[in-house]
Amino acid sequence: MKRREFLLATLGGVGTAVASQALRGGRAVAAPQKGGQVIVGLSQEPTVFNPLKPHIEVDRGVHMCLFDALWRMNPQGQFVPNLAATIPTVENGGISTDGLQYTIHLRRGVTWHDGAPFTAADVEFTYQLIMNPKFDAATRVGYDGIASLTTPDPATVVLKLSKPYAPMLALWSDTYIVPKHVLGSVTDLNNNVFDTKPIGTGAFTFGERVAGDHITLEANRKFYGTGPYLDRVIFKYIPDLTVMFTRFQTGDIDVTGIQGITVDHFDEAKRLKGVTLHTGPTNFVEYLWFNLGRPQFQDKAVREALYLGMDKQSYIQRIYYGVPPVSESYLAPSSWAFNPNLPKHEYNPDKAKARLEEAGWKVGGDGIRAKNGVKLSFSNSTTAGNKVREQAQAFLQQNWKAIGVDMQIKDMPAAVVWGDYFFKSQFDSVTVGWNIWGEAGGDPNVLNWFGSGYIPVKSGKGSNTTQYANEKMDRLAEEGVSVVSQEKRKPIYQQIQAILHEDLPVLPIFYYVNIEGTKAGLQNYQQNANLVSNVWNANAWWWAK
Amino acid sequence: MSARAAVRVLGTARGRKGSPAVARFTRHRLAILGSVAVAALLLTAIFAPDIAPRNPLYIDLVVRFTPPLHGPFALGTDPLGRDLLSRLIYAGRISLTVGFSAMLVSAVVGTAVGTLAAFRGGAVDSVFMRVTDVGFSLPSIFLLLLLAAFISPSVLSITLIIGLTSWMATARLVRGQILTVLKLDFIEAARAGGASDLRLILRHLLPNSAAPVVVAATLNVADAILAESYVSFLGYGIQPPLASWGNMLNNAQSYFVSAPWLAVFPGLMITLAVTSINFIGDGLRDALDPRLKI
Amino acid sequence: MGRYLMRRLFQGGAVLVGVTVIAFALLHLAPGGPLAMYTLTTSMGAEDLARISHELGLDQPLPVQYARWATNLVRGDWGRSYRDSRPVLVDIADRLPGTVELMLASLLLAIGIGVAVGILGALRRYSIFDYLATTGAMVSLSIPTFWFGLMMIFVFSVSLGWIPSGDMYSLGKPFSLLDRLHHLVGPVTVLGLVLVAPWSRYTRSGMLEVLYQDYVRTARAKGVPAPRVVVQHALRNALIPLLTLAGVQLPMLFGGALVTETVFSWPGMGRFFVDSLGYRDYPVLMGILIFTAILVILGNLLADLLYAVVDPRIRFG
Repeated sequence: MKRREFLLATLGGVGTAVASQALRGGRAVAAPQKGGQVIVGLSQEPTVFNPLKPHIEVDRGVHMCLFDALWRMNPQGQFVPNLAATIPTVENGGISTDGLQYTIHLRRGVTWHDGAPFTAADVEFTYQLIMNPKFDAATRVGYDGIASLTTPDPATVVLKLSKPYAPMLALWSDTYIVPKHVLGSVTDLNNNVFDTKPIGTGAFTFGERVAGDHITLEANRKFYGTGPYLDRVIFKYIPDLTVMFTRFQTGDIDVTGIQGITVDHFDEAKRLKGVTLHTGPTNFVEYLWFNLGRPQFQDKAVREALYLGMDKQSYIQRIYYGVPPVSESYLAPSSWAFNPNLPKHEYNPDKAKARLEEAGWKVGGDGIRAKNGVKLSFSNSTTAGNKVREQAQAFLQQNWKAIGVDMQIKDMPAAVVWGDYFFKSQFDSVTVGWNIWGEAGGDPNVLNWFGSGYIPVKSGKGSNTTQYANEKMDRLAEEGVSVVSQEKRKPIYQQIQAILHEDLPVLPIFYYVNIEGTKAGLQNYQQNANLVSNVWNANAWWWAK
Repeated sequence: MSARAAVRVLGTARGRKGSPAVARFTRHRLAILGSVAVAALLLTAIFAPDIAPRNPLYIDLVVRFTPPLHGPFALGTDPLGRDLLSRLIYAGRISLTVGFSAMLVSAVVGTAVGTLAAFRGGAVDSVFMRVTDVGFSLPSIFLLLLLAAFISPSVLSITLIIGLTSWMATARLVRGQILTVLKLDFIEAARAGGASDLRLILRHLLPNSAAPVVVAATLNVADAILAESYVSFLGYGIQPPLASWGNMLNNAQSYFVSAPWLAVFPGLMITLAVTSINFIGDGLRDALDPRLKI
Repeated sequence: MGRYLMRRLFQGGAVLVGVTVIAFALLHLAPGGPLAMYTLTTSMGAEDLARISHELGLDQPLPVQYARWATNLVRGDWGRSYRDSRPVLVDIADRLPGTVELMLASLLLAIGIGVAVGILGALRRYSIFDYLATTGAMVSLSIPTFWFGLMMIFVFSVSLGWIPSGDMYSLGKPFSLLDRLHHLVGPVTVLGLVLVAPWSRYTRSGMLEVLYQDYVRTARAKGVPAPRVVVQHALRNALIPLLTLAGVQLPMLFGGALVTETVFSWPGMGRFFVDSLGYRDYPVLMGILIFTAILVILGNLLADLLYAVVDPRIRFG
């Protein structure tokens, strides 16, 4: 474990002074050796190389190798400078005391892959591009609160906000800077040479993409930070997870990427020789997500009874092999805002039945409860083909049948469930894993998820698809983003977690654990629950020969 | 998978002529074997509640992944501790229902389109045949997936989808057959005798073109069972907790090494059913119309 | 002949229009949409989705969208993929070689085995070999392809280590023909064996028919050696109808290739279609459908024409 702690200290920095000193301090670790390649297996194909466009997780992993943001969040949840020289704080004067002005000093001497120098103009251009109505940016949320972005000199950026916005640092940790000298002169912002030949400042340069098969990135020998030690990283697309595991078994891939090894292959994986398994908790929480627009779910007693009637212990211990830790909150214990004092879940079908009886839900002739003509019957949906989750659904179905509740399974392809069906609240309930913390780049903000002004079907914005509305929650969630100091935010979010646990608009089940495998010789592979992809530090990877 | 049916109908086995159809069929040993197997499968499916040793949906996590011949489970249990044998028996119901119903859909649609096209001729013929061509010019798996993405999967929708993507071969066969029959003298005689169109079609045209339809339909059953498993593999199949051989096989993939029995038995069932039905189709072709060709 | 060709081409065109209308309607009316892929994985909210939907023109009435798409197509613009922003034709062209390689190799294997088995079966009708071959071909036609493929991988890659478990070639290594062929073994066996049955059966029955015709009997009676009879007379005539088989098998090949490509991580058109369907990448899906439709129509036409060339008894009116 010590070794691991040590590695933690050396990596996050991507070439900070601390990191290089630690390496020179040279505990029992051999010096990194150069050369070799790593093949990362991915179950989805990365295709979007402009980091500001709409993208999915696997795209993000490629962005992390090709590009840099101003800073990046390390596994401990701290920001570590990349293109910025330091992290702005109130203490170092980088953030004004009213939280309205950010002064960012950039690292000097950084060059783009084509040799052009990186300057504040690139940061300014990146911001302008995001806000440019002609550009199909992934999102403008957060950026639209920036009143002005100026560059007093080529190594300084000044942000002025219209009102304090605490997740601002997190936002910029997920904003990858693009080159002005390339994208500034293209005629079509949405379709241009940058989509197929991206140029960044990252540790790897773009090699080639063989569509439908793989993407090759080559080492950037002029990288400003640590490494890269590898000659190249190859992202290999393997559409089927069973096949992916098999290919890891046969040694065809060196690293199993996002979704890596499914829990039902964990035991098998442990028996493999010559591989290292990495199992780290993530900030993804598995939920049973209700649509409170449905009359059955408006009654809090029903939500409570369903939680009581869920055999969470067996759900996790048996169906998920006891791998993921149980969750009561939307935040993971590793978050600074986590509330450790939430009541523990209790599996008690009798109490569940009593709770329903008491609330007036009586068992009908068919064994299903009903109240005022509303049957306690609903559907549960998720992405079809997620086999372990399908097993969990069948298990829940039996759990809840025992308390007189009828749940039908109605799984659909991803493009159907997570389209209008989910976003326009057309579902009864879904089983889904969300990383609410990570959505904002590592921030406990819940406004978008549980704020009553953020119900898409009502206001056309936000992600509050459960249609949860609670005035106290609204007030706290607003307050949480307008205060910048972490100490002041902490009690607010602890209270928010308590309210969510009391109201149960969603049932938290467990924290996902990423099970990933690497070939044994690969050094410095490190999971980072704060980022969507674990290739985040590929610059520091190397092969022990 | 209509193309498969078409391909197989192309093949002809000639030679043994002169004996009546039944005798020809019974001489086809593989077809007899196939018939026995299919009959057994059908009976098992029909009497599933009497035969299945336990409730195929009952979950008992304590006994999950029991290997075959351990404890009370003849074929072992699945990841949720459900009895595999019972599930296989009930899955047969679903898979065979999908197979036979999809065949009915494709036979009815195909025969209707083919008959009308041939009988009406002219514009109707052109339009119907162009629509058939459209169906033929798209690989049926593409069409199948397109349609599957359209409807949330249930036994009924999967059946319809498979049926509606496999009628084209039948339509062409029927049209060709009826065009041939229409030229024969007895049709003229019947027309002269004042037979109505409907009577003509039902009494003379259809019976005389039944042979290829029966053969194609048999092969379509086999294809439909396979198609259901493909759709399941690609994530658009029948919903849990209901079991079909296709989704059982698909769900077993992850356990190929740790619990191979989960994949072996449904795979064998599909192969057994499909092979048997194909043999019957083969036998029928030899028996009904040895000269059968598109 | 010229008029026949014109008529067939015209019909082909009409069929193509039908394909586009039906495919476009099906795709766009299906629930879900191309933006669903973003909702799960990034910080995009409803307002972002609405904005992008508008920018892609997805908020317009369907006939308007179709008209715009069709107009562009006629001008030679097949649109751009929503997923990787590249022109659809470029995307298809990238996937084509993989699929063609897989399909051609499988077809060759199927024809090779099928014709050989068919000839032997015909020459030794009702022998043990004949029965075994017929049964074997039928069983290979009846095994679910993905199951067969996974079994192959488990037995020959994982357990025995004889063949690669997927890919077209070893990644990050220089080109080598041997390496390519080695990678072909698994997928081609899986896809090829499914196709053997029709070839063997057709060859067998064709051979039987021809073997009992007078001129073959005469040749045999004259003392022409059996192998020469088979090759010179019987096989040539029996093969004629087989030509159409290749045309008819094309759509079936696509179907098989799609599953094989998934199992063996093979970058081809079939897999591209499934992925694009998952993302609801409309321009790509339309592109693939039209492209395959054109191939199939031309394939059938070519088969018919070849048939006429080889067999002078056939006349087109």
